[in-house]
Formats: sequence, structure tokens, C-alpha cells
Amino acid sequence: MTLLAPALLLGLLGLAAPVIAHLLGREPPQPIRFAAMRFLHATERSSTQRRAIQDWPLLIVRLLLLALLVVVLTRPSSTEQTGVAVVGEPHDAVVLVDASRSMELRVDGRSLLEHAIDQVDGLLASLPPGSRVGLLTTDPDGPREEPSADPDVVRDALERWKTDGHPRAGAWTMAEALPGATALLQRVEGERPRVVYAVGDATARGLGSLPKAAEGGALVVPVPAIDAEQPRPEHVAIEQAHWEPAPELDPRAMRIQAALRRHPASSLDDAAPERRVPVVLRVGDTELARTEVVLPFGELVPVEFTHTLSSEQDLAPAVIALDVPDDPMPSDDTRHLWLAADDAIEVVVVNGDPSELRAHDEVWFLSTAVGVGDDEQRLRLRSLAPDQLESRVREQGRQAFRDVDVLVLANLRAPSPDVAPTIVEQVHRGMGLWITVGDRVQADAYNARLGELLPLRMREAVRVGTAPGRTEARAEGMAPADLAHPAFRGLRGDLGLTGTRARRVMLLEPDPQREHQIALSFTSGAPALLTREVGVGRVALLTTSIDRDWADLPLRPGFVPMISSMLGYLASADGGGGTGQLVAGEVRHFRTEQAITITTPTGQQLSLAPDDEGQAVLEDTYVPGHYRVDIGDTQSVLSVAVDPVESDTQWQALDPTPLQDGERRHVAVAVPRWRGLWWLIGLLLAAEAVLRLRSRWGGQPARRG
Amino acid sequence: MADREREPGGLPPPPRPAATPATSDGGDDGNALGRLVPAPLRELLRARPLLVRRPVWGQRHGRHAAARAGLGLDFRDHRAYVPGDDPRRLDWRAVARRERLVLRRTESEDELSLVLVLDGGGGMAYGEGPQQKLAYAHAIAGGLAWMAHRQGDPVGLSLGRQQAVDVSLTRPRSGRERLSALAQRLTEAPPLGRCPWISLMNEVAPRLPRRSLVVVLSDLLDPGMRSDDADEVQDELLRGLAQLRARQHDVVIVQVLHPDELTFPWAERSMLRFEDLRELRAPLEAPGRSLRDEYLRRLAAHLHALDDRCEAEGLVLVRVSTGQPVQDAFMGMLARLAGEAGAATVEVEVPA
Repeated sequence: MTLLAPALLLGLLGLAAPVIAHLLGREPPQPIRFAAMRFLHATERSSTQRRAIQDWPLLIVRLLLLALLVVVLTRPSSTEQTGVAVVGEPHDAVVLVDASRSMELRVDGRSLLEHAIDQVDGLLASLPPGSRVGLLTTDPDGPREEPSADPDVVRDALERWKTDGHPRAGAWTMAEALPGATALLQRVEGERPRVVYAVGDATARGLGSLPKAAEGGALVVPVPAIDAEQPRPEHVAIEQAHWEPAPELDPRAMRIQAALRRHPASSLDDAAPERRVPVVLRVGDTELARTEVVLPFGELVPVEFTHTLSSEQDLAPAVIALDVPDDPMPSDDTRHLWLAADDAIEVVVVNGDPSELRAHDEVWFLSTAVGVGDDEQRLRLRSLAPDQLESRVREQGRQAFRDVDVLVLANLRAPSPDVAPTIVEQVHRGMGLWITVGDRVQADAYNARLGELLPLRMREAVRVGTAPGRTEARAEGMAPADLAHPAFRGLRGDLGLTGTRARRVMLLEPDPQREHQIALSFTSGAPALLTREVGVGRVALLTTSIDRDWADLPLRPGFVPMISSMLGYLASADGGGGTGQLVAGEVRHFRTEQAITITTPTGQQLSLAPDDEGQAVLEDTYVPGHYRVDIGDTQSVLSVAVDPVESDTQWQALDPTPLQDGERRHVAVAVPRWRGLWWLIGLLLAAEAVLRLRSRWGGQPARRG
Repeated sequence: MADREREPGGLPPPPRPAATPATSDGGDDGNALGRLVPAPLRELLRARPLLVRRPVWGQRHGRHAAARAGLGLDFRDHRAYVPGDDPRRLDWRAVARRERLVLRRTESEDELSLVLVLDGGGGMAYGEGPQQKLAYAHAIAGGLAWMAHRQGDPVGLSLGRQQAVDVSLTRPRSGRERLSALAQRLTEAPPLGRCPWISLMNEVAPRLPRRSLVVVLSDLLDPGMRSDDADEVQDELLRGLAQLRARQHDVVIVQVLHPDELTFPWAERSMLRFEDLRELRAPLEAPGRSLRDEYLRRLAAHLHALDDRCEAEGLVLVRVSTGQPVQDAFMGMLARLAGEAGAATVEVEVPA
């Protein structure tokens, strides 16, 4: 413990003041003009009592008050060795601060972000003279300071940014923000060492996502906001929330389901194995239902409510919330939904290889997967033969896809040349397209007609083991899914697809210029499921069959969630289902030819004008809650939720700091300890007032002659 | 009138106020005496006579039994005729029986001279409102004066205050003018300083008519003129009053005390500063708790000694507390005047 202003300790001499005041400056005696003075005689006792201290408790309280006041003025602080490691020679650095939602976790009464800012203070204080330092955060709208020799620029920027209410949902991961930090460093001239000090929590999206070095040779030094040994509290979160119609109960009834998770504390020694958590369902401003859920650690626990919309109500905002006021991370305790009378995803499957044998019929597997459990009501599946599709398109043109959210081309040879442009146009306008291959698929025809939609162009279908260099294996296994892919958002762990064995696959043409994302890949590294965003729409390509012709994918437990997630992903680009959910920070496109107005949960109204291609883009979706979209006379809605991945506060094991011991600098950071003393002073003031009143009321009122 | 009533050695009388209408019974609220005597006491005294136990010797006919024979109707005795007696007073029947000339004598009824001797020193200022000792004494004095006036008895007033005496109204007079002047004097003389008892008694005694009723109103707590002569002055005062009693005057001492003086309620530890209302003794600072027991013991001893001395001298001592209703105190005093037995009505609770 140190004192920032030790000279003020001289103020303790002032403690003599109340003692002297009690001894000498006693209150004037009450005067009484009396007639029988003849009989009054002062005794010995009374004359000595005049010098005695009459109210010991009051004196002690006043002495304590004065002493505490002096101590507070000296600003006692404890110096903590922060263990900040910095490069020992002058260098150029960028402080990269994690602004993600997980930094909201409160540890010891302060958020991780506040702890991180303290770490930044210590880090800035320990930089060698001559160093230049800049700032970047994972908040896309956060401060960005180019390296300069004045560390106060970073401090001031952080202080301003903190007062704006950060951290927030939808921030980048540290790995995503790292290129921005290196870009700042590359603007600095000179050959001095370049270092990125990454300050944040050690979660998978925080420091756990960082590589050891960044582009351009910059050294990446992870600086945890708190020590790994410091206890971190547990918290609860709602990770999923959706609803589905329940026509068996009522034509307008629905089941509202959520999945809760109890994220464990850093130490489970003192934690109860199970915890009861109240869950509340509110529709509009009314609390409709309340229940309690028993949560063990780590497991996803479902909770379900049923509700029936009134006949006058086609659309209602609903909130599922945890009633846990002391949760150290409250932002993920609430989920917003729009309840609608009609909210299904229309899926049209074009079956290119109908078969009477179920094992060889694509539609049967798809319809079975869609019909399992919850998806039956959310997904409406229709099957068309190829000629039916062509005839409808020829007759109706673009209107043939009017109500279609996702079009699945299952083992279709290729759309005819006159139909393909319509499909391309619809995908550009937001329709989802999923292509699954099989024996009938003609790669050249697809490349020619739908080439601009494909994530990668098709080459040829091969049997596994016959491909060049792959003679030893007869079947291809499936690698773990990339859960970072937007289609799998909200899913966790192994999807249950790793046991898949594929005997034939469609080879693709490598094309580094073509933007695409790989959701699934084989163990050989070959892509199995790819997606691409085209215009406002999304396209997926499965490089093996969706039935059992080429692989046993439909037999795997992960098949159903994969189908459901992918269809939902493909449809959500078009707002499939009408009441789509976005995760915070996700961009939403609208097809429109007129300006639209967005009403955010905070009541703010945003006006969006369409571009030349008739698209309006909503980018500001960082506030979770209910959004209303007014397009002319029509109104639609959407809700924004926090990505459950951001709630994961599980710390990852970090590699040791890349700096050598000689380059470490232990910085003593002054932690203020005087703030709590103000409470004590307040209590003593109240006690002093009570003692004074007691003393005053205890005396006899004077009588005057 | 002012010059005629001025007495040598006394204070000049205060300026006479503008004439105020006085009613025959002195009971109007607009009257100065009416303000001194509380309404309940006036109501109580409305039909009650002022009586004394012993015969009086007034100069004029009155309502009190006289100590001498006179022209009344009630038979008293016979005596032998001497030349010069009025032959109309011969009792011819008795002459016939006794065969010598005898005169018939009858009882006489004279007026009673009431002289009020009031302590106007600062000590009488203790208390507030109707509980102030001087106000209480004024009520008693006013009540007596009003009763005397109503039955035609002359009234006088002597006042001692501010180390001086005022005997301008000592010689008893009757009539509304005297009553009005007396009330005016009472209301215009605030308590101040000390009452010079020796001088006052020396001035009053020669001015008393025969067999007067002398009523002394004081607290008799500290009658001294210096800080060390209280016992001496008190002894001299009682001796002087005893002499008056020996000269056939009726002497009544009304000792007016405040409840605080009898109970000493300051029993706390807080520091108090006692200041002498008579401006005679030095202030005293001490916690009330440390003073109380000794004070009450000394006061009780003082009051007991006073009781004993008055009883021995044949003085009537009536002790009243301003905490009790003034009509109760007044009725007790009237009973004592009429000859009913009784001791001082107020006692001091002496701590163990």
C-alpha cells in the first residue's frame, strides 16, 4: 500500500483539534436565573467534571472521521505488479483491445474491459522511451489511432470510447481485427520492431483466436485482461430461441423454445452442481409465463412455452428472458422474437433422379430430414420434377419463384438454358439455391448455365481412390465442420458428420479469385459443402449426393441439423420466413425500389435508399431487439440476437508470451484503494449526527427566570 | 395628591397613570386590579367576607367585631354611671333592680385596616406567566385588597424593591381611588434588586393603625442585603414582625415559592450556570446533578426553621407554591386568618 500524497499525512495533526475542542471548547452552560442561590453550593466533583471529556463515543467518532478524511486525501493505492511484458527496445506498437461482448463479464465488480484498460495503462507506462504506440479495438466503430510518441492519445481515446457504453455485440474476433492492427503498423516508417499488444480475455474469439505472428512480421503479444488464476464467475445465457407453429393445439398456437446454458466459473470447487434459473416469456409488455429451469454446467437445456396469438394479432414482439439480476453478463440473458401467424420457409426441391427406392431418392431423405421434430412446421417442402419446373418458369417467368425461399436442385442434370437465367436472376434478388450432385449431374452444363452462381466451378465426378494420388483409400471421411461458418451459427461441438464415408465426389476447379466459404470438407481437404453469396442471395454446393448413391451422409446423426441449418441460412438472405433473426452485426439486404425506414429497438429511425441494383443494405444491427422495416405500405420485421458464441467465456490456454525474459518489464500499477473509504466516512457522519442528537435530546431544557 | 402622599425616606411614587374607570367591585377586566386577580379567584371571592380571628380597633364603624364597646345593638355589659355620661344610655331596668345608676354598654363593629407588605425584589421574578412568583403574590394581594374594599375596609401597600422602600400607600385608605392606586402601583413595579426588609419594617410599623392586618408576601429565601447577612436580616425581620404581633396586629406571612425551588428539577449531567436574580451572589456553574441533594437539604432546613420560628412568635405562616391554583392557596390563607389550625401547606421532599 502506498500513498500518492504522503505529505498530507501531516493533516493527522488535526486529530488534536477535536480533543482540544472537547476539553476546552465545551458547549456554553445553560444559564438559569435563580432566586434560591443562597442554598446552592458547588461540590468538589462538579469542579473537576468541567475538565473531563463528557462524550467519549462522540469524540471517538469525530477522531475517526478526521483520520479517515486525511487518509482519503493522501490517496492510498496498492501497487500491483502487472507482469506486463513489453519489448525492451524502442519499438512501434499497436494496442489491440478486445471489445467483444464477452468482455462485459464482471470480475470483482468491474468488467473485463475495465480490467483491460487498466492493463493498457500499465502497458503504456512501461513502454521504453522513444516507442510509438497506436490503438485499435475489435469494435468496427471503435477508435483507431495511428502510432505516435504520445501515449496519452491512446489513453484519451480509450476513455472516450469506454464512456460510449462498450463492449458491444457483433464485434470482430481478435483474429479478424489483427490485420487492421498490422495495417496501422505498416504505415509507420522505419525499421524498428513492430509489436501488436492484444489486450482482452482468453476466450476462443479473444486472445485464443490469435496467431503468434501477424502479417508483415509483427510480433503479437497477448495480454490477458486479468490473470488466468483470478477467479471468474459463472453466468447463464440464452443461446437459442425460436418458435414453431403448433396447429395441433390451435390454428394460431405456437411453441416458443429456447436453449439455456450455464457457463461455468473458472473454478467449480464451490459451485453448486445444479442451479435453478427463472425464465420469463413476455409478449408485448405483458409477462405471460414464468418457469424455472434446472441448469447443470455446460449442458444446453431446453425450455418451451406455448402461446396462442389472438385473432386480431398477426404479429407480436416476444421476449424470452432470464430473471437473474445478479448475472455478471446480463446482455445474453434476453432473446427477442417476432411471433407471426405465418412464418414458414418455402423450399422447392427439384428431384433430378426420382426413384421408387427410398435409399436412392433425394427427396425422401430431404423431406424426412425436414419433417423431423421442429422443422416440420418451419420448413414447407414441395417437390417438383424437372419438367414441371421448366414449364412453370416458361409460363410464369420470374413469378414461378414468387413464394420460393430456397430452391434445391437435387441430382438435376442441369437447368435448361432458358430456365437458368431466371434462376440466376432470382438468386441475385435473394433466393437461396442449393445444388446437390449425383450421377445425373452434368458439370459442364452447370458451369455454363449457372457458372456465376457456383462457389467453385465443377470439374468431374470421381470415385474416391481413383483420383490422382489417392489410390490407397476407397472412401472419403468427413472432417469436423467449420462452426465459424454462418450456416452453423449456434451449433456446437461435433455435428455428428465425421463418420460419413463418401465413395464418389465431385471435383471442383480451384479458383482463388472466386469468393466462397467452405462449411464442410473431407478429411483429404477437398471441399464437401461450399457456400457463396451472390447479390443478395446465397448458394450452396454439396459435392456428394444427398441420398445414399455416393455417400452415407443421410445416415449420420448430423444430417438433420445440417439440412435445417443450411436451409435456414439460404433462406435468411431473403428474410425467409418473414420474421428472420439476425445476429448482432450481421448485414441484411432488402430488395426494394423505394426507400425503406428501419425502426430500431432504441426507437431510432434509419432511412435506407436502394442502390442502382435495387438493394438497400442494413448494416447497423448491433443493438439486440425488435426491428421494424417499413417499405412503402408493407411492413416487415426482424429481430437481432447476440451470437451465442460471444457468450462463451471459457478461457483458452494461451501460449507463453513470445518475449524473452530480458524483455519483460514488470510495471507497478497504482490501484486506487481510497474509494471505498468514502462509504465509511458517510457511515461515520451518520453516526456522528445520531450521537449529537442523542446528546442534545438527553439534556434538560433550561428554564429561565 | 402626589405631594401629600409622599413619605420621607421613601421612593417617589411612580407617575400616576391616566385615570381609569374603576367599578365598584374591581372585577372588570379593564381594571388594573382585574388584570392582577385571575377570573376564577374573583368568581370565588365574590360573596365571601374577609374575616379575622381577633377583634379589631378601627377608627370607623365597620363589619368586624371591635375590641371596645360601642354603639351597636348587641348587649355587652353594665357599668356604674359617672358624671358626664350620657344619661340616655342609662339602663332604667337595671337601675331599678340594683337601686343605683348603671349604664348599658353594647358591642361595637369596626373597620379592619389591611396593610400589604410586598417583596418586590428580583427574586420574585422567577417563573413564567401565572407561575411567576410576583404575579402569584399580586393575585393574592389583589384578592385581599378587593375583598377589603368591597366590605369598606381601608387598605395600604408597602413595597420594597431595588434596595429602596415605597411606603407612599402604606397608610390604609378605603375607596375606589385607593384601590385603583394600589393596583396601579403593583402593575408598574417590576421585580428588581433586593428588598430592604429592615428599612421597610421600620417605615411600615409607625404607619400602622391599631390592630391592623399585616400581610407580608415574599419568598423569604434570601432576604439579606449582602451575600453574608441573610440569616441576620431574616432574624431581624421575624423579630420585627413578632413585635407587631405583640402590638395586637394580626401578622400573616405568605411565603410564595416556585415548584422549581421546591424540587430542583435539574438532575442531569449537563453544565448549568445559575445566576442570582437579586444580583447579589456570584454566578455558579456546575452540573445540576451535583447540586441537587445539597440544595434540597439546605432548603428543607431553612423552611423548617422558619416554621418553628413563626410558630414560636405567633405568626401565621402560609406557604404556597405557584404550581398550585391560586384560588386553593387563597382559600387556605383565608382559613388561617379565620383561626383554623394548619401548618405551611407546601413541603420539600428532602433526598435520603
